[in-house]
Formats: sequence, structure tokens, C-alpha cells
Amino acid sequence: MKPLSEQDYYETLEIPRDASAEDVTRAYNLARSTYAEGSLAGHSVFSEGDVEVIRERIEMAYQALSDPELRAAYDAQLARQSEQEHARPTPPDPAALAVAVSSAVDSIESLELDEIDDEDGEFDGQRLRRVRLRNGVDLDQIAAVTKVNPTYLRFIEEERFDDLPAAVYVRGFVKCYATCIGLDPDRVAKSYMQRYEQNRESPKQRRIFPRR
Amino acid sequence: MTATSGQPAGMSAAVPRAPSAREAGSRIPRPLLVPFGGGKGGVGKTFVTANLAATLARGGYSVIAVDGDLEGANLHTALGVPRPRSSVAEFVAQREEDVQKLVEETPIENLRLISAVRPNLGAPQPSHSRRVAFIRALRQLDADFVLLDLGAGTDPAVMDYFMVCDDGVVVLVPEPTSVENAYAFMRAAFYRRLRLTLVDPELRKLVSVAMDERNERGIRTPLDLMREVESIDPAEGARFAGVMRAFRPRIVVNDVRSADDIKLGFSVRSVCRRYFAIEADYLGYVNHTESASRSVRACMPLVAQKPRSEAAVYFARIARKLLAPRAAAPAEVEAP
Repeated sequence: MKPLSEQDYYETLEIPRDASAEDVTRAYNLARSTYAEGSLAGHSVFSEGDVEVIRERIEMAYQALSDPELRAAYDAQLARQSEQEHARPTPPDPAALAVAVSSAVDSIESLELDEIDDEDGEFDGQRLRRVRLRNGVDLDQIAAVTKVNPTYLRFIEEERFDDLPAAVYVRGFVKCYATCIGLDPDRVAKSYMQRYEQNRESPKQRRIFPRR
Repeated sequence: MTATSGQPAGMSAAVPRAPSAREAGSRIPRPLLVPFGGGKGGVGKTFVTANLAATLARGGYSVIAVDGDLEGANLHTALGVPRPRSSVAEFVAQREEDVQKLVEETPIENLRLISAVRPNLGAPQPSHSRRVAFIRALRQLDADFVLLDLGAGTDPAVMDYFMVCDDGVVVLVPEPTSVENAYAFMRAAFYRRLRLTLVDPELRKLVSVAMDERNERGIRTPLDLMREVESIDPAEGARFAGVMRAFRPRIVVNDVRSADDIKLGFSVRSVCRRYFAIEADYLGYVNHTESASRSVRACMPLVAQKPRSEAAVYFARIARKLLAPRAAAPAEVEAP
């Protein structure tokens, strides 16, 4: 199965594209109970954070697919995407992203321009976020282009080092992120990974499957 | 997730009938070797094995039930054979090399047994190579089905048996302890199978690291591990993906009392897919019933004792599902 961030809504609800409205509701109810707080099926598996992301995604999927109009629009979007994918081989070309991310405005914060981002100095999560917002790039856009889970992108900005995966992945994520917001990926990764290594809890304290 | 089609068919206790002669080129290998595991003791592995064996036998299939639990053998009792003549222990101790000779009759027509009584308690478990030889011999048996009842836990002795074929059944009950052990069991089966598949000793070491829950590389799921392996060696990565596709445990939820309990099988399947990248199938469920424990006390499979009981209906469903062609793995799993 693909990572959650790469799944379309049908995959998230584990139903085929031609599922009936009834199937959508049934799948949603099942998914909701499966990933609910205190779910028996999740015993010993779910950990804080990741199950919330799944829940959120399930809700989004249901919202989109339970409404006939929204679903029709979403289907059309999927059809367009698959056409594009056939025309353009994966993985997505970083050059193509410049077009995709040029016009977005995230929030009011994006108006608070700062001028330090091209200077030397440490790249911490906050600075990355500022640069991103100033360039008008959404996390979802970065996620769409890089296929990195948006939650991880958020964690990078929030420097939730202990919620991030192993260093080898994070380095890759940060490089993708930096490329998307127009920074030098190697310089950013080097600086950010230093912070990551210094602040992360010792791996020994972590478990593969954190228990409640 | 599709509901049973018509309710007369859905609720029938009719046992699927064996074709008079296996047509050549039949999809199901003969014998079909089905191990029953699940990690936790007391979830009804033996109960499910015995009753499914009896259900298939009633349908005219030739079935051999094999007790793989050398340290807690009791399948013979569940099948109404109080004093088995021979035992797997004979093969383990190398007193008998011909596994065919360990097969004996049960009171149920078409159903035979290899018991595991009288083990050498000093060294009950066979060596790895001995296990492999035993499994190979089971595949040579003259039967339509060989059902293998495994012991509790995730010991290598248990896992080896579970991995011999792709149709391993994981039995669980709707309790947190059982669910936890079922996941641990499936993960152990998956990792062990993988370790035996990979060629590169370095990568095998990596899998061993991943099997340690406290591993320092931050590998949490098979998906993480696959990415790590791919980054080291794409060819091994492809082999890994093959193992992931082929590993498809099947879930039976025993002792269900409510609609929510029934849903548990679907939920576990979903969690397996999302968290472990393991494609499990939901084979079916068996209701909670007082007559189950009475049948155990009577030393007879419930479906043989009460062929019209509700449980017999559920076992017939499971048998039908076991006989049906398996749905192909979902497309997204096939993608490289």
C-alpha cells in the first residue's frame, strides 16, 4: 500500500473507484471505527500523531466522496491527473514545481517578509517556514510535488524531531523541501540535520511500535 | 467487504462438495497445506483447525489434520482419537522417516490425523532442517487438504511451519491481548520469511535489526524496511517487494459475540495494510457458543456433533472461502 499522502480518497477508504454511495458510507463507518480512539484493532499498533493523520484523511475522503457533486469533481480531477502521469513519467520533475508553487498564498504570515533567508546561518524549522510562506508555497503543494507526507513537512517546521522518522529519510525530506522553496538543498540539509541530531532523543529510547 | 449474496446461500450449513475427480490443471495445489497460528494461546486454534478439517471432510474432501504443537499436543483429543497410535515425535526423534506411516484414521470419514503425542520433552522441537524435511513430506501426502495446527508464540519452530505456504491462517479473538499477539505473529512471520529470501548477508543482517523492536535505524514497518533495502540494493528491493506481495495471511476471528466483533476482521485487515504493508484476507468468523466448550469436553468437533448448529454454518462459509480462488492482490501493491 502506498503511503497515506500518496493515496487518493478511494484508496484511503479502501474502495474501488466505482463504489456505490452505500459502499462509500459503509467503508467510511468501518474506517472510522477502525481508527477510532481505543479501537480494538489498533491495540498495540496506533501511536499518537499518526492515527490522527489517518483519521483526518478519512474524514476528508468521506466529505469528498459522499457528496455527488464533489465526488464528480474529484473524479474529473483524478482523470486529469492520470492523463498527466501517462504523459509525464514519474518521479515528478523538480523544474515543473516552479510553476505549481508560484502563486499560492498561505496566510497573513506570508505577508511578513523577512530578509535574512539568503544569508548564512542556521536553517531551523522556523526559518524554513518563513521562507516558505514568503515564497507563497503551501505545505500541501510541497507534499504533492515531493510525495513527502505533509505531516512530516509540518513536523520539520515545528522541529518535532522525535516524531520524525530516521535521519536518512528526514535528510531526503528536508532536501526536497528546500528545493521547493528555492533554497540550496545541501546547505539547508546540512544545517538542519545538525539540529536534528543534537535535539533528537536517543534512538535507544524509541521503539519500532510505540505502545500506549 | 461485500455482503453474502443471497441469504439462503449465505446462511446454509451446506458443505462445499469435492469435485468427483480433481480436473487436471486445477488451480489448488494438492494437498493444500494450511497452517493455523495466531501467537496467543487459548484463542481456539485447535478448535478452528479441528472443525474446519471436519467441515471439509464432510464435503467429501480428503483431509489430514496435523498437530504441530509438540509441547501441547491435543488435536487428537479434539478429533476424537484419545490414544493415537503414532506421532510426529517419531519423526522428530528420527525413529520413523516415512511421514505417511504416521497418518491414522479418526472417527470422522475422510478425516485422518498425524498427532504430536509423546514428545521427547528433553528436546521436543525438531531442528530447522528436520522441520523443512517434515514440511516437504507433508506436501507429498495423499490428501486434498493438510491442516496444520500450530502452537502458541512466535518461536522459530512455529514460524517455519507458518511460512511454508501463503495461505497461513491467523486465529484471533476479540480481545486486546489476542489482537496484539496476532500482529506480533504476522510481523514475525513476515520478517522471518524475508530474511530467508534475501541473498546478501548484509541485508539479512538489516532485517534482523528491523526485527528488533528497539532498532536504532528507526525502521518501524516493512515499508520502511523496503525503502532501506531498495536504497542499498535495487535487485534485492525487487525481491523484497515480491515477498511482500506473496505474504498474505488469512484472518479468522473466533468467539464473536457482536456485530462489532465481526467487523474486527476487516479492521485488522485495514491496519495490517496501513501499518505493516501486509495484505491480509478476512477468511471468516465463528460465533461464541456454549456448545463449543461442550464439544471440546465431548472430544468431538462441533460440526460433527451438531452439523446444523450456527457454528457449522460459519465453518461452512470459511471452507467455501478457503476453496474459492483468491482475489488478486490490489493493483497498488503490484506497482513497483
